[in-house]
Amino acid sequence: MAATPAADSRLLVIYASETGNAMDAAERVGRQAERGGCPAVDVLPMDSFDPSCLPSERFVVFVVSTTGQGDPPDSMKGFWRYLLKKNLGARWLEGVRYAVFGLGDSGYQKYNFAAKKLDKRLLHLGAEPIIQVGLGDDQHPSGYEGALDPWLLSLWESLNQTTPSLLPRMYDIINPDLSVLGDAKVEVIYHSSDEAQQDSNLLDFKNLIQRARSMSPSLQFYNNDKEPHYMLQMVSNRCLTKENSDRDVRHFELENPSSGITYQVGDALEILPSQSPSAVDSFIERCKLDPDCYITVRAKDRVKISKGSLLKDRIKLKTFVALTMDVASASPRRYFFEVMSFFATAEHEKEKLQYFASPEGRDDLYQYNQKEGRTILEVLDDFPSVQMPFEWLVQLTPPLKKRAFSISSSPLAKPNQIHLTVSIVSWRTPFKRMRRGLCSSWLAGLNPNEENLIPCWVHHGSLPPPHPSTPLILIGPGTGCAPFCAFVAERAAQSTSEATAPILFFFGCRNQENDFLYKDFWYAHAHDQGVLSSKNGGGFFVAFSRDQPQKVYVQHRIREQSARVWNLLKSGAAIYIAGSSTKMPADVTAALEEVICQETGCSEEEASIWLRKLERNGKFHTETWS
Amino acid sequence: MAATVAEALAVTDELALPLRAVGDLAAAAGVSREEVVVITQCASLGGKLPFDDASVGSVLAVIKKVENLGDLFITEISRVLKAGGMVLIQSSPSDQDPNNSIQRKLLLGGFVDVQASAASSQDSEHSVTIKAKKVSWSLGSSFPLKKATKGLPKIQIDDDSELIDEDSLLTEDDLKKPELPVVGDCEVGATRKACKNCTCGRAEAEEKVEKLNLTSEQINNPQSACGNCGLGDAFRCGTCPYRGLPAFKPGEKIALPGNFLAADM
Repeated sequence: MAATPAADSRLLVIYASETGNAMDAAERVGRQAERGGCPAVDVLPMDSFDPSCLPSERFVVFVVSTTGQGDPPDSMKGFWRYLLKKNLGARWLEGVRYAVFGLGDSGYQKYNFAAKKLDKRLLHLGAEPIIQVGLGDDQHPSGYEGALDPWLLSLWESLNQTTPSLLPRMYDIINPDLSVLGDAKVEVIYHSSDEAQQDSNLLDFKNLIQRARSMSPSLQFYNNDKEPHYMLQMVSNRCLTKENSDRDVRHFELENPSSGITYQVGDALEILPSQSPSAVDSFIERCKLDPDCYITVRAKDRVKISKGSLLKDRIKLKTFVALTMDVASASPRRYFFEVMSFFATAEHEKEKLQYFASPEGRDDLYQYNQKEGRTILEVLDDFPSVQMPFEWLVQLTPPLKKRAFSISSSPLAKPNQIHLTVSIVSWRTPFKRMRRGLCSSWLAGLNPNEENLIPCWVHHGSLPPPHPSTPLILIGPGTGCAPFCAFVAERAAQSTSEATAPILFFFGCRNQENDFLYKDFWYAHAHDQGVLSSKNGGGFFVAFSRDQPQKVYVQHRIREQSARVWNLLKSGAAIYIAGSSTKMPADVTAALEEVICQETGCSEEEASIWLRKLERNGKFHTETWS
Repeated sequence: MAATVAEALAVTDELALPLRAVGDLAAAAGVSREEVVVITQCASLGGKLPFDDASVGSVLAVIKKVENLGDLFITEISRVLKAGGMVLIQSSPSDQDPNNSIQRKLLLGGFVDVQASAASSQDSEHSVTIKAKKVSWSLGSSFPLKKATKGLPKIQIDDDSELIDEDSLLTEDDLKKPELPVVGDCEVGATRKACKNCTCGRAEAEEKVEKLNLTSEQINNPQSACGNCGLGDAFRCGTCPYRGLPAFKPGEKIALPGNFLAADM
């Protein structure tokens, strides 16, 4: 690390982000601190900061997200594990002043757990809070910013009062001068056509993805696998729901045309979606860019590299936009509108953009932008006088992200194939505009009979593969059944060569006629000597929630099978839950607690503690999505 | 000799018993040394002790040859001991681990509280002493069996003891769901819908908004009194009939997106 300024005059902002929101919030903290005259501001991801150096810091702001399961984000795990060491004394962080802001969603059961735990732990280690922990909530009418704005104001006021040398200009934060714009953090180098002609070979697509995504500064924060592990060919695209049903769930089968695929059940497949060529062309035309010129993009803080390296790193502008910048799906962040206001030449557009970027306009911006799912292209079209330089567009356009799907096939049952179970995302906004998920809609539109190579990465998911001798209790309504297709297929394959423990599986859907996913698959394994067969101690139970006047969900089925569930639990079963994050995991957990109370006579609190011990012992796993 | 009752009995398979051993037993049994009955060369008895059932308070057995300590002998000691009586067995190990075999014999013979300890011996030989107790009820007595409670099976947490339990950092307040701010204004068009038992008039106002349908005239020849309708959703007001449509120029036909007129089933 370079020479560090004196800790007494530095504000360190450390973020742990899952989807990029915490990074965005942390950068905003940094910008406002600089605006307020802070002598030195550093904004760092948590996994690039050595936690043993924390006692030497004086002012630290933490911005942390919480994943759906209440876990800290991946970039926080190492830092957090260090902080949990028992040998850190109660005065280890004496002299450190800190503030914590958490980004969460109260729709999840473990709301902002990462931020709450971090705040308590820092306090126990002797650090002094500057202000109370702030808890952002996606359910708030303004999103997490509804809590961030007043929290930031409180933070700056407190720092300005206690340490005016750190934050001398409170006025400039409250009344920012929007006619002054800082420099972009991104640099774009354009190459002449003479240099470009030397490298006109058609490049391998996989390598092209790696080069483009390695170059994009906004993608450096995400995981480091820029080159796809596989380029898979789609060989099957099948509807699992009825044609006229309001939901469209597809079964995709992907194959590796060259060699084998290595994965295990419980893994997740990450897919880089392809953007519509017409959308990319519209973006390039709207921003008056040359699609065929060659560029090199890099962050400005990087060390200068030689001219030869620049030649090697160049890429066509259109390719860079298509592979790294999400122009037609993701919404821009608030700072995008602030920078747009600087480049707006029409007065009514400039006023509206400045209003959107201000605290007064926050709710209207949220309604116009986030609630409506505006894309970069739509926002730019609504403000035609704005012509942003390309480096600002590179910095502020949301990166094109990979999407993760639970793998629903078993490598034992289907070597060289990966199956996915995908709900095609589409919804209507409050203004009745139709929006579609980028990746799911693109996958649904692929024709298995044509060549369509899909960039894929295999990663571990939240569900570790179980040992064949461990009994399983699986709860997976809707597309939550996807990973359990893999579990059942894997155990069926294992049972041909070794003894396997039974499986109880609870599935739920709306109607038996419309969306009973993989119906034949489950029934095949529930018959005779299948792994779900009741003769083998297993079971398959379905809850149809809309086939009768009263609601029947998976938790009702669990209560009905109380004795069976408990018999498996006391013989060492593992519990896996997968599906929607809203109410299902909490309801299922409550049903399991009820089962334990009923079968053993213990109290509800004892049952709850027992389940938590089961979770800590690695026998209770949850994978949910919103 | 034909004693049938004794407070303490010392038996050995040797020709003589050291006085120290007799003293040990007397101290453990709480009697004087003169009250200890001594039997030597007990192997010649053929496994029988000349005492009545439950007539001896405690027994010390100093056995050199472990083979002489058979199951039959253990049973005989148990027979003559009173309920709750104590037995001490001292032996010199000739094999690797006589403790286990002697303890096992005592357990199988019905003794409880079996303990082993290395005796403090001034002899050149190293010996072990095993202490056990006869059960505290007499033959033929009975007591009711209590039903075992169906408890929760114990979960063995192979925990990394270097780290604290992070769940202990959370309090009851942390587990509660937050209260979302109530939208105070009754602005129609805001995210929240009117309550079913609406009394503030919002429901009626919402019905008015839903009736704002675009006519073909509005689509083919859009006009705007405020001048903002054509600029796009960023500039339109909450009740603008053109909300959700792309920007347009006044007087020109609005190009609708392909999916706009799809049914809302």
